[in-house]
Amino acid sequence: MNFSVLTTQFWSLCIQGIALGFIYVLISLGYTMVYGVLRLINFANSEVVMVGTFATVVAQVAILKNPATSDPLHGTRLVLTLFFALVFSALACGLLGVLVELVAYRRLRALGTNRLASLISAIAVSIVLSEAVRIYTHSAPVTSPRLLEKWSFGEVAGANFRVDTVMIIVSGGIIFFALDRFVNKSRLGKAIRAVSMSEENSKLMGINLNRVVSLTFFIGGLTTGAAAFFYTTVYETTQFNVGFNLGLAAFTAAVLGGIGNLRGAFYGGLFLGVLEQFSSAILGSQWKSVTVFLVLVLVLLIKPSGIFGEAVQQTRT
Amino acid sequence: MNKKIQRSLAVASAATLIFGVSAVSSAGAAQKTVYLAFQAPLTGPNALTGQDELTGAKFALSEYNATNPTVKVELVLADDQGDPTVAGSLAPGIASNKTIIGLIGPAYSGATQASLPAYKAGGLAMISMSATRVSLTDKKAPVNGFPIFKRVVANDKFQGPALVRYATKGVTSPKVYLVDDISAYGAGLADYAKKTITAAMSAGKDSVPVNTSDYTSVVAKVKASGANVVIYCGYAPDAAKFVKALRDGGYTGVFASGDGTLKADFPVNAGKAAAEGARLTAADVPFENLATAAQMVAYTKLTGIKVPGTYVTSTYNATNIFLTCIKQGSITRPGIQNCITNGTFKGIAGDTIKFDRYGDIIGGAAVGAFTIKDGKIVYGGVA
Repeated sequence: MNFSVLTTQFWSLCIQGIALGFIYVLISLGYTMVYGVLRLINFANSEVVMVGTFATVVAQVAILKNPATSDPLHGTRLVLTLFFALVFSALACGLLGVLVELVAYRRLRALGTNRLASLISAIAVSIVLSEAVRIYTHSAPVTSPRLLEKWSFGEVAGANFRVDTVMIIVSGGIIFFALDRFVNKSRLGKAIRAVSMSEENSKLMGINLNRVVSLTFFIGGLTTGAAAFFYTTVYETTQFNVGFNLGLAAFTAAVLGGIGNLRGAFYGGLFLGVLEQFSSAILGSQWKSVTVFLVLVLVLLIKPSGIFGEAVQQTRT
Repeated sequence: MNKKIQRSLAVASAATLIFGVSAVSSAGAAQKTVYLAFQAPLTGPNALTGQDELTGAKFALSEYNATNPTVKVELVLADDQGDPTVAGSLAPGIASNKTIIGLIGPAYSGATQASLPAYKAGGLAMISMSATRVSLTDKKAPVNGFPIFKRVVANDKFQGPALVRYATKGVTSPKVYLVDDISAYGAGLADYAKKTITAAMSAGKDSVPVNTSDYTSVVAKVKASGANVVIYCGYAPDAAKFVKALRDGGYTGVFASGDGTLKADFPVNAGKAAAEGARLTAADVPFENLATAAQMVAYTKLTGIKVPGTYVTSTYNATNIFLTCIKQGSITRPGIQNCITNGTFKGIAGDTIKFDRYGDIIGGAAVGAFTIKDGKIVYGGVA
């Protein structure tokens, strides 16, 4: 136990935790969107993140003429490059999400097999993706060039407002807000919600089920791809197995908040990010996972539907 | 044991003898020829380690054969892929081949442990060039190498203190923050490093699992502790992420790490700026720093390699110990075992090599000190 770290680093841990939390939020949206519509945990989502991190590296390297020696970018060029990499990674993951649905789930769904079959095929897709990347990269970590110099806006109460931290929090917030509006206000969003309430009834209302499912996978992929972009920009390195830990954390966040519920994923992700930072600072990093899963078990014991799960349950029954 | 298992075991050991082991050239039938086995990963993901080491053994042998000795020595290559399972099935074949009188290797600690039962039963003396696990020469360990196992490489009991010594060198009133990766290697090294860090020097300790991507909470702790030396015990990919997070977090003190990090891709993955000045140690001193100019020319001519890889020095020393014994007339397994256990030998640096009862060099083998300068690993003497 080391509480002395809190005297000088409390706010710093908070802001880092929130930034990390936003990465989890965006990935857990991928799980939660799909679960809301199909009642199925898309275990391949963790590998979609992994592919997204590589897509980000590819986009960045493609733009820089000489990535090994180039200096960090500035001004408009920096913003445009980052934006391009973000869009590229999000689209790549969105399309991959759609492809995963087509290959691994659609036919099983059409045949009316039980959910276990889809679960197995999700795990298969995830193994195929990670092994393919492992073989292609010879199991070695891949480094992304440093585009963004890590300058700081300033320090408030010991918390360092570094540009990458601020970028994640601001853009993560905007992406979540936009998605929330889309699902709750737009026509397509209404269709998604209708399918999540009742597949049969929404079909009767003339909703094209397959289109809505594809759309859900696409949107889930978009947010997951955005998370992959932020991850790569901050940590500047990726590896074939990077999806496992990230996916597990995001899945935990989704379950904590109540899976199938967008706002649940939001609060679950942020809570998890902050919890991870504080538990590793106070108890030691080796206790991080222990703390996280202990909290998960406790939450599920007391409220099996997750912290925000109830609202969703009501809409379903 | 049932018959079926017995039969399949017999087939397996015969197969390893035929396929797993191959003799390098077989010229010179007139002279008396003895064989030394060389066991290391020669294929598979760790092949580079074994192939580098093999050049050291071949070079020592070429020097020996050039003196026109009465007893000719040849190498028998045993490829264990650094894998304990492969090593375990390979060892019985070598142990039962009575023309092999000694074994250079194995290169890896796990493979060594798996091979030991067969070699102990066969009374085959072995000298490892790179197996650093402390338990191999620990008399209290359940599986130690006594009496046949010796090594010419510093084990982690020596590297730990050397790492602390080197990390704090020239730092006024050092405050050391120690981080390990909870792996068998990292945690072991950290344990031995910790023993030399006094209470006044210690700023704290953390254990971060392998493959963690976010090190910000560790950085926060390092900053809160006021440390000016951070020692990381783990492997290169994680060390790269950690040092980057430290530098981005505004830490300006020393960053030091052990041989797990001494890889050419460490400065590449960490980035030139973050890796600059990192202090690294390894239980190895580069061969080109110890060999004479004439030896380097001969080495390059023999192997086609200009810059020798890691553990060439220790492999060269290990091979020469066997050759010295053979020169002195020990050409049987018991003779070699007796010679190695009681003899005194010279390393390439002119250092004296004499083994203690459990197989380590008395006084400890040298630990090399390296720094990262301009994205390159630079050797800077003995730590």
